[in-house]
Amino acid sequence: MSADQRRDAVTAPGFSLNTRKTGSSGWLERPPLDHIVMGVAILAFLIAFPFFNPGYRFLSLAITTGFTAIALYGLALQFGQAGIMSVGHAGIMGIGGYTAAILANQLGIGFWLALPASILLSALAAGLVGLPSLRVGGQHYIIITFCFCALLVIALTNGGDFTGAATGLDVGPIAGPFGINLAKLRNMYYLVMLALVVSLVLTYVIVHSPYGRTLWAIRENEPLARAVGINTNFHKIGVFALSGAFAGAAGILQTYYLRHISPPLYGAFPSLYLALMVMLGGARPLYGPLLGAIIVTFLPEVGGLDPIDSRIAYGVGLLLVILLLPAGVSGGLLGLYRSMIGRQRRAEKG
Amino acid sequence: MVAARLEITGLRKKFGGVVALAGVDVSIDGSGITGIIGPNGSGKTTLFNVVTGAHKPTAGRVTWNGQDITALPAYRIARLGLVRTFQQAMSYPGLSVRDNVSIGFEHGRSIGSTDRRWRSPDEVLAFVGLDGLGEEVAGSMSFGNLRRLGIAVALAADPVLLLLDEPAAGLSDSEAGDLRELILRFPKMGIGVCLIDHDMALMGAVCDHFIVLNFGTKIAEGAPAEVLQNAKVLEVYLGVDL
Repeated sequence: MSADQRRDAVTAPGFSLNTRKTGSSGWLERPPLDHIVMGVAILAFLIAFPFFNPGYRFLSLAITTGFTAIALYGLALQFGQAGIMSVGHAGIMGIGGYTAAILANQLGIGFWLALPASILLSALAAGLVGLPSLRVGGQHYIIITFCFCALLVIALTNGGDFTGAATGLDVGPIAGPFGINLAKLRNMYYLVMLALVVSLVLTYVIVHSPYGRTLWAIRENEPLARAVGINTNFHKIGVFALSGAFAGAAGILQTYYLRHISPPLYGAFPSLYLALMVMLGGARPLYGPLLGAIIVTFLPEVGGLDPIDSRIAYGVGLLLVILLLPAGVSGGLLGLYRSMIGRQRRAEKG
Repeated sequence: MVAARLEITGLRKKFGGVVALAGVDVSIDGSGITGIIGPNGSGKTTLFNVVTGAHKPTAGRVTWNGQDITALPAYRIARLGLVRTFQQAMSYPGLSVRDNVSIGFEHGRSIGSTDRRWRSPDEVLAFVGLDGLGEEVAGSMSFGNLRRLGIAVALAADPVLLLLDEPAAGLSDSEAGDLRELILRFPKMGIGVCLIDHDMALMGAVCDHFIVLNFGTKIAEGAPAEVLQNAKVLEVYLGVDL
C-alpha cells in the first residue's frame, strides 16, 4: 500500500474503521451518522431475513456466514489493526469448538457454561501461537500459523476417545433460556446474529478506544511506539488473544450449529478461506469482514458453482482484489461512496 | 533535587564484524544541553539506540540516576524519562497530529499522573508551534512541521532527558532558528537535552558541553569553544588544511 493510499484510507469519511474523529474529549466519541444509519439498516435486514422465507438452505448459509464473520472480526483486528496476517485462525476456532465438545462429552457441560471456557482457551491458544510473531514477521510467521493448523489436525485425529479421533465429536442442542428451542434453525439464526452484532459493536469499540489507537501506533511505527513507552510485545500478544477470543466464540457457535465436529474443519484449508475472506472483504472497514463472509459463503450457491469452480473463482477474485482493490471490496465501495459524495459537494458548490 | 545523570561505561556495540561503538565512556548531565558530534558513521545514533534500549549492547553498562538500565526493554527506559526522537520516521504517518501526541501522553513517564508539564495533547502542540494543526494527518504535513511533531510526540511522553537525533536535518534556516529557540527553553523547564546534529551553528549556539565521537570512541569532550580548538577534533571532524 502506498503512502497516498494509506492516507486516503485514513482520511476517508463514511464506514471505515479508521475514520477517527479527533478532538472529542470523551473516551469514545459518538459514531458518525452514516455509521449509525448503515448499522440500523444491517440490523433490520438481519432481523427480517428469516421472514422472507429464505428456505432451509439459505438460512443455513446465513448462519454459517454469521459465525464465520465473528471469527473474521477477530482476524481483522489482528490483520487490520496490528498488521499481522495468520492462516491459523480456523485452528483457533477449533480450540474453541473442541473445548465445548469435550466439555459436553466428558463432563456433560452445556453451551452456556462452555462458552466462557471456549473463549478463554482460544484466546490463550492464540496468544501462544502469536508468540513467534515477535521474532519472525510477514510470510515467515504465516508459515508458522500454517504449521500450527496442520499439527492441531494431527493431534485431534490421534486424540483417541478424548477428541473422537478422525470421526470427531457430537454435541446436543443448546438448552435455550425461557424455553426457546434452539434446535430450531430460525432460533439458532437469531442467536448467531446476536453474537455477530455483539462482535461488530465490540470491534467498533476496540478500534475507537485508546487501545485501538495504541495498536494503530504500533503498526504505523513500532520503534517510535517503544520510544514513548508502549510495551509493544505485550500489546501484540494482547491483540492475538483478543482475536482468538472472537475465534473461540465462533468455534463454539459452529460446533453447536453443526452438532458434529471433526478435525478437517480446522485444518489449513479452512484457515486459508478465512484469510481469503478478510482480504476479499477488507480488514479495516467496519463491514469488510461481514461482506467477505457473505461473498464467499453465498457465491457458490448464488452463482451455481461446484466446489472446483468456486475455488477457481475465489483465486481469481482474490488476485483481482489484491491488484485492483487493495483495501478489499468494502474499501472499493467506500472509495466509490467517497467520490460520489465529493462530486455531489462539488456540484452543490457549483 | 539531585540533577539526573546518564552514566555510560565501556559501551561496545558490534554489528557482525563492524564495531559501531568501541568502548565509550561518557557521563551526561541530565539538566543541561549536551551535544554529540562526530563524522558520519562515528556511532552517534548507535549510542542513542543502545542507551534507549532499541539495540542491546555487546558489552558495557548504562545507568540512569544510579539505576542500571542496560538490559531494560525500550519501553521501560522511556517510562523512566529517557525519551528519544528519530532522524527519519518521526511520527505515526497515518494518525492525526493530535493522536500522534496522545499516544505519548497515554504511555509515557507520568501515566495517570496529574502533575504534568502539559495537561493535554493540544498544549504540547501549542508549545512546539503546531497549534491548530491537530486534525491534520501527520503523513501529509510539511517536513518542518513533521520535525516539530517528532519533538512533540517525545515531549508528550514527559521526558527528563530528551535525546534529539539530528532535529535540524532538512530544515530551512528560519525553521532551524525556531528549533534553536525551542531547544533553549527545555533546560529552564527541567528537561535535559542530548543533541546530535551536523548543524554546527545550531550546536554551538545551544550546547553547553560537547562530546566528540570518531570510529566509535570518544576523542574529546568539554566546553564547545575548547573542543573546537582541539587539534584531534579539527583533524577528524572539520578536516585539516593541507
